[in-house]
Amino acid sequence: MPEYNIIGKSVQRIDGPRKVSGEAQYAADLDIPGALCLKVLRSKVAHALLQGIDTREALKVPGVVGIFTHVDIPGINSYGIIVKDQPALTNRVRFKGDAIALVAAEDEASANKALRLIKVSLQDLSPIYDIREAMREDAPAIHETGNILSVYKVKKGDVESAFKQADVVIPGSYTTQRVEHCYIETEAGVAYMDNDMLVIKAGTQNPHYDRRDVARVLGLAMNKLRIIQTTTGGGFGGKLDISVQCFLGLAALKLGRPVKIAYDRQESFVATGKRHPFFIDYITAANREGKLLAVKVRIVGDTGAYASYGPATLLRAAVHATGPYEVPNVDIEAFCVYTNNPFSGAMRGFGTPQMAFACESQLDLVAQAVNISPLEIRRRNIFQKGSLTATQQKLDVSVGIGKTLEAAWEKALQVMPGLGDENK
Amino acid sequence: MKKRGYGIANMWYGIGNTANPNPSGAFVDFLDDGTAIVLTGCADIGQGSSTVLAQIAAETLGICVEDVVIVSADTEVTPDAGASSASRQTYVSGNAVRLAAENVRNQVIAIAAELLNIPTETVSLSQGEIWNSDKSSGMSIKEIINKCRSKGILTLGHGSYNPVTTELDPETGQGIPYATYAFATQVSEIEVDTETGIVEVKQIVAAHDVGTAINPQNVEGQIEGGCAMGIGYALLEEVILKDGEIQNPGMSTYLIPTALDVPEIHTIIIEESEISGPYGAKGVGEPALVPTAAAIANAVADALGIRMYELPLTPEKIIAAIKNRKEVEAI
Repeated sequence: MPEYNIIGKSVQRIDGPRKVSGEAQYAADLDIPGALCLKVLRSKVAHALLQGIDTREALKVPGVVGIFTHVDIPGINSYGIIVKDQPALTNRVRFKGDAIALVAAEDEASANKALRLIKVSLQDLSPIYDIREAMREDAPAIHETGNILSVYKVKKGDVESAFKQADVVIPGSYTTQRVEHCYIETEAGVAYMDNDMLVIKAGTQNPHYDRRDVARVLGLAMNKLRIIQTTTGGGFGGKLDISVQCFLGLAALKLGRPVKIAYDRQESFVATGKRHPFFIDYITAANREGKLLAVKVRIVGDTGAYASYGPATLLRAAVHATGPYEVPNVDIEAFCVYTNNPFSGAMRGFGTPQMAFACESQLDLVAQAVNISPLEIRRRNIFQKGSLTATQQKLDVSVGIGKTLEAAWEKALQVMPGLGDENK
Repeated sequence: MKKRGYGIANMWYGIGNTANPNPSGAFVDFLDDGTAIVLTGCADIGQGSSTVLAQIAAETLGICVEDVVIVSADTEVTPDAGASSASRQTYVSGNAVRLAAENVRNQVIAIAAELLNIPTETVSLSQGEIWNSDKSSGMSIKEIINKCRSKGILTLGHGSYNPVTTELDPETGQGIPYATYAFATQVSEIEVDTETGIVEVKQIVAAHDVGTAINPQNVEGQIEGGCAMGIGYALLEEVILKDGEIQNPGMSTYLIPTALDVPEIHTIIIEESEISGPYGAKGVGEPALVPTAAAIANAVADALGIRMYELPLTPEKIIAAIKNRKEVEAI
């Protein structure tokens, strides 16, 4: 019998033909006869208390069927995969883009017209856009728990002694930017009642999480809510959060009619999570052979108005901060901090691309200082079978970094002739 | 003047949620005609998880992949498989599907062994047939499933998997955050125009240890896509805020790489088998992107002899850095 028949074979993607032929139906392609169009009124200020909403004029627009605000939420008005800090429709604005009201109308033009006629009175609060300012003890709290949402520590050995014994100690401060996922498909979905079952079809990376939090917000039993993932045009972490799901469920439940929503690109930018901008202070110590002795790392991540996947991003950043290298002494602290910026959440890599930029830059600087090549410093420090990580986990099996390093280098020498010339 | 540079970066990436349970469940129904339905909560978001899970089910059940239907990500009918995130679905849901399929396979094997009067240990399922050690018995899987039906046995399987991790100590972080890790090395070759500050990525070599590659072409696709995204992260992409308001909320002002910006990517798959993974697999979704910007930044530093500490490496920043060095050297 052959060892494997199908594992290791590049069989054709089962979703391929329908996508290539254009037959695949993404959420925005779904048309339900009689479905109402949903639009969201979003805040133009960053930090404020909602004092009142007047929807009377907006409700007079022909075609407008319903307008909902925070008072219409039947369940608990907060969601979040890690911290339940984000309202579906808010009475306290925390970023420019926070959802205040939901309009349901027979057509898009009527919904848009109603959006313009909703009158919102706000009491401004002072906004905090700078993360250092947000971390100050006297800074106004954006959430009741304070602005420093979480702190993660990874500590091993004695970093200060190692710094004293080291031949080179190199500090570097790194900054990374806020990034949008830019999946091809923006957020969209439909919802309808199927007898007493609320059905929501939407692009998502985690329908079972969606069910938990939509049931919470709408006050539904979990077995009366069905989330069906539609063909999804990319996620990269951005479709792990609730986006359109609560709006769809609320309107379908309240009005008993099918509903549909689709964000345009601008709303997708404004309303959904981003990659965390990081501020990283990284100190690396090594001996004159380029063997790493210690790292001290401080990471601050701007999670913006809501936690989303922020705590998981900063924790993962802390755990991965050394890179795939044996470092006997580590002192790593990572801070996840609220501001009044658009919220940051999961994005492909969860904080590790940021850390790789800092860590790998540092390695090249250390290599330069001890006069060895970037390749050589990596060879001397990468994990081996049996290595201990910063969290003292012993790596016993499947440690392929030595092989990837040598294979990549060998291939690079073949295809990049200039690399060999420099004899790096 | 155009200056060429080379940069290298490594990465490691823990598969699954950090120091937290993240289980996945699956059901398998092995039908009378030898085809199968797999129920999984796993959302295929374009990364190819449904294909990979179909391959795992087909391999385990000894049938061809065309005979597997994946029903996914519908909370009324599929079990929770957790998020399609943390590069976890091949490893975690792959294991859940493998266990569910093994569960049903063992039922078929028991009946086959009884009929053929041979020990269960020598029986296996492959290519639609029942095998006795290394020889086909000539009996089809379909016949055995029908035999099961005549005995009143429905061939249904279930499985669930949760990666083995521990909590981390709150003060020291000590513990086992992940059951397994993917590793990678990328080398990039770039050219910087010292007059315009524009960086052109000429080539990327990307070697990724993914454990067993269940579908090598899918793995290559993930690596190539990750590199493209990494080029955007390194050189182009930045959401610009002014008083908390996004200044570039659209594709005309927020630039992502186009086909013209993405060079040849030489992918290398390293398969360090992971004993706890389904058929030795780990994952690749996020690792593909993780070292790309770091390698490009190192290449730019190599080309210019100037280290940049802030992403993205825009032409404006590069020109400023070159100018700044000239001024320093002039002093």
